[in-house]
Amino acid sequence: MYNKIAGHIEEHREELEKIWKDRLINDGEERIIDVMPQHIFESTSTDFFDIILLNLKDKGREYKVKLVNFSDKVVRLGWPVALVMKGLREFVHTVQENLVQYGSIDKEREGDYLELLDKWMTPISNEIVQTYAETWEKTVSLQKMALQELSAPLIPVVDQISVMPLVGTIDTERARLVMENLLDGVVNHRSEVVLIDITGVPVVDTMVAHHIIQAAEAVHLVGAKCMLVGIRPEIAQTIVNLGIDLDRFITTSTMKKGVELALEMTGRKIVELEG
Amino acid sequence: MRIPILKLNDCLLISIQWELDDQTALEFQEDLLKRIHETNARGVVIDITSIDFIDSFIAKVLGDVINMSRLMGAKVVITGIQPAVAITLIELGIRLDDVMTALDLEKGLEKLQQELGD
Repeated sequence: MYNKIAGHIEEHREELEKIWKDRLINDGEERIIDVMPQHIFESTSTDFFDIILLNLKDKGREYKVKLVNFSDKVVRLGWPVALVMKGLREFVHTVQENLVQYGSIDKEREGDYLELLDKWMTPISNEIVQTYAETWEKTVSLQKMALQELSAPLIPVVDQISVMPLVGTIDTERARLVMENLLDGVVNHRSEVVLIDITGVPVVDTMVAHHIIQAAEAVHLVGAKCMLVGIRPEIAQTIVNLGIDLDRFITTSTMKKGVELALEMTGRKIVELEG
Repeated sequence: MRIPILKLNDCLLISIQWELDDQTALEFQEDLLKRIHETNARGVVIDITSIDFIDSFIAKVLGDVINMSRLMGAKVVITGIQPAVAITLIELGIRLDDVMTALDLEKGLEKLQQELGD
């Protein structure tokens, strides 16, 4: 039965390829085909056909390599996974209709053929979905890493004074990172005063405040002072309205004032040069 | 093994070098108070740089020692709390709010001198 299908496809390859491509293009939902250069679509589709045929004839190494290469290619070209899956489905339909049309198979055995075709496509679709999933997972983990690197940097600005600017939402995971970086940084840079800048934190709710208070207390334990700077008017309003007690901490509205205060606390000040 | 308590002018220096067990911690509490009484020390520096782990009992004993020393008129500075220890303490809800802390022994002594006003 395999050979029969394979023979038929090889014999009518050009016709099948044309019908199949027309179906994909005419379906119209996939805008990606419109924006894709014609020759890329053509060559990729031909590759696709080759692979399906190769699968039929030879399941050895060459097929494996080609399939992996093809999956990589569609992923790189940014074809939506739905389009590729549709391509596979349409292929089954096209071949089946074509087989019936040419009378190569008996009507009664149509179901068997359909099942066979399906079975034959499964490993291909599995491989492609696998490649897509791997790519997505890789992207997500890379972004996660990038986010982590960006999420809590401690910058030693002057001797004994360090700054940690926070930008974006703070969740429990990030708060843990903030605390660890803060403490390690204070010990490594031997800072006396650390400024946590929350200008970039959009919302300060009780949870965020709780995390910040904990971090500040931990800083006190390792022997440094913690200052909260960059408190915007709306943040000040929320803090008071929520009844969050920040009395134990030194807070200022801007980083500039904070740095001046920190210098004062470490017995220094900024002076202008004469002349 | 008891924890050695050294005297430096009117300060007492304690460096805790190994993990405290409950018994040692209690002995240390007694020893320190006795020494404060004997020497009339005005300041105490407890350095815990080498400690990477602290449990709630030890933390409580430390907090108690600090309060007791204060009652006896000695100011206490704790130095060298490791980041991991600080996180544990915060998670245990021990804040040591009114205790002086410093990064290391040197800065601790400096702070103490300032506090004692000489």
